[in-house]
Amino acid sequence: MSHRKPAAYPDVSDILARKAEGRREIAGRSFGEKIAMVEKLRERLAPLKRAREQRRESERSRGPSGPRR
Amino acid sequence: MGMKQTLDVLNRMEVEGVIDRYAIGGAVGAYNYIEPAVTEDLDILVSFESSPAAPRTGLITLEPILTYLRQKGYSEFQKEGLIIEGWAVQFLPVANDLDAEALAQAEDVEIRINPKEDPVKTRVLRPEHLVATALRVGRPKDLIRITQFLEGQAVDIRPLCDVIERHHLKDAWRAFCRRAGITDPCELHFKP
Repeated sequence: MSHRKPAAYPDVSDILARKAEGRREIAGRSFGEKIAMVEKLRERLAPLKRAREQRRESERSRGPSGPRR
Repeated sequence: MGMKQTLDVLNRMEVEGVIDRYAIGGAVGAYNYIEPAVTEDLDILVSFESSPAAPRTGLITLEPILTYLRQKGYSEFQKEGLIIEGWAVQFLPVANDLDAEALAQAEDVEIRINPKEDPVKTRVLRPEHLVATALRVGRPKDLIRITQFLEGQAVDIRPLCDVIERHHLKDAWRAFCRRAGITDPCELHFKP
């Protein structure tokens, strides 16, 4: 009978704290800064959005019996 | 092309009387108070009360808005939104007392989006009205937004509780608090 050692996971509390601090910092920005930020993000996400729409379109054209990923 | 230009178009519509008054709501309205989330839509709460095209029948039509915008070259739709300068603008006519109060009390703001451009004036719904509207709509993403307002202390509890009570949303609010696992901050404020 073997005894498995308990898994050792790293402490990520400082990472989570930094992420929370980052969210607070972003939340505290001005309305205009946030809009500008989202507009830039939308530009960066546009290729992903186009790819998703193309994938959905090809899934629709294959019909409900087609292979799904 | 961008939000500044979109708001310029909306401001012109107000000046020219195509719409009576407008304010930004939804996810973009929430940017004024909490961490932004990417969205495709710009929700615009709009009234037509003093417009010559105001309906007398109770049926609301967006046709005057759409005709005006078509003449300006804006005719492409993305789902329910009409694309104006890159943003899918969804016009939401005032449809209940909560909307009417939210629009009447919306805050005037001036925002500078791009340092190279002039600032633009607009109006944004107050946080308590954004939260109450999210509660009324009640999709998962709306409930997440309410949580963000509460966690970020971006809404004053007293006015929020007043709005919830005034617009008969107490049951929805209590259900939200149960689902979110939070102590109801309005319990002390609600009238018995």
